[in-house]
Formats: sequence, structure tokens, C-alpha cells
Amino acid sequence: MKLTVKLFAMLGEQLGPTVTIDVAQPSTAAMVKPALCQQAPALKTLINNARIAVNQEFIVDGQQVLQSTDEVALIPPVSGG
Amino acid sequence: MAKIKLSATPLDVNALYQALKAPEYGGIVTFVGTVRQWTGDIETQSIEYSAYSEMAISQLEKLAAPIEAQGARVVIAHRVGHLELMDEAVFIGVAAAHRAEAFEWCQYLIDTLKQEVPIWKKEFDTDKVRWGD
Repeated sequence: MKLTVKLFAMLGEQLGPTVTIDVAQPSTAAMVKPALCQQAPALKTLINNARIAVNQEFIVDGQQVLQSTDEVALIPPVSGG
Repeated sequence: MAKIKLSATPLDVNALYQALKAPEYGGIVTFVGTVRQWTGDIETQSIEYSAYSEMAISQLEKLAAPIEAQGARVVIAHRVGHLELMDEAVFIGVAAAHRAEAFEWCQYLIDTLKQEVPIWKKEFDTDKVRWGD
């Protein structure tokens, strides 16, 4: 299935505000980073340092199964305040 | 419900403070984070803040809810966009019956904001542009 992933900060700057990845169905949240790394190997470190949010919540379990309608985002280390 | 916002325009610190006042509160603690010029020998000229707005607001609401459930009032405002030196980047205010919990909750909110809320700064320094950490 196709999944749109929102990107922010340095990741958004490099790859644009969203990127579409193709993942198996069913897919888990843990499969998002490897799929993105494959698409943008140069940004592997940045991608792996980011956290994943599904429907605006940080995931607590990488085994969470994703639906194509889920809002998935990659959250680089935050620096507000 | 806590008053929480991301603002593309300068923070009106006095208005935010006024929103905390109520007869039941005897202690109001506010924290204001501003754009600092020097970090060691790195000189900052300006900062651009960006956010995953919907998630940032819902994260902040989740942080504030248990504090408000204990009878306090929480006001949080964070800037997005381009800020110059000395501009207010964040305002955190907690009004409580007594000072001890107001201090404690205010510190908790700013510390947790810096870890868990999807807001990012891009620093324009005199030597280069850096994404904050």
C-alpha cells in the first residue's frame, strides 16, 4: 500500500513536506524508516534519529499496524523552547 | 481547558500573564524563553521556528491537562516564524493556589516541551545555519 509520510525540519528541507512510500500490507510502524532509508539512502542517519508519530502521537510500539488512512510523520529531534 | 497556541506574530507577554489571573490563585509562575545571542563562541543572529502544528498543540494540551485537573491554570504560547535577538520564543505560565506547585509545574512544562513537542528551530549564526538540538 502507499503511505504518505509527513516530514519536518531538516528532513522536510531535504525531501519536501511529504514523501510517499510503498510498503507491504499489512505494515507496522517499524517498517516506515527502512522504507524511507531505501528511498533516500543519503539521509539514513537523519531518518534513523527521528521518531515516528501515528495520528499525531509518538508510537510506543513499533509493531503497531498501519492503515493507509493513518497520518504518519517522522519527527526529527525537537528543539522548541 | 488550558490556553495553548502557536503564534506567527510576537507574543503579547502581558496579555498572556493577564489570562492566568483569578481570585483562587495566589502564585503565578511564568517562564519566557528569548532568542540569545551567544552560545559559547557561536553567535546567533536570528532563529526560525517551525512546527508540526496540530501535533504540537495536542501534545501541549496533554501535558497541561493533568496540571489543570489539579486546579491550576496553564497558558502556553510558542512562536513560529522568524525571530530576532531578544524576541520571545515561548511563554509558559502556571497559576496555582500556592507558589511551590506553580514553580514545579512551570519547570516541568518547559522541560517536557523541549523533549516531546514537535517544534524545531533553525539558527542563523554568523558562521553558518544550524538546525537546533
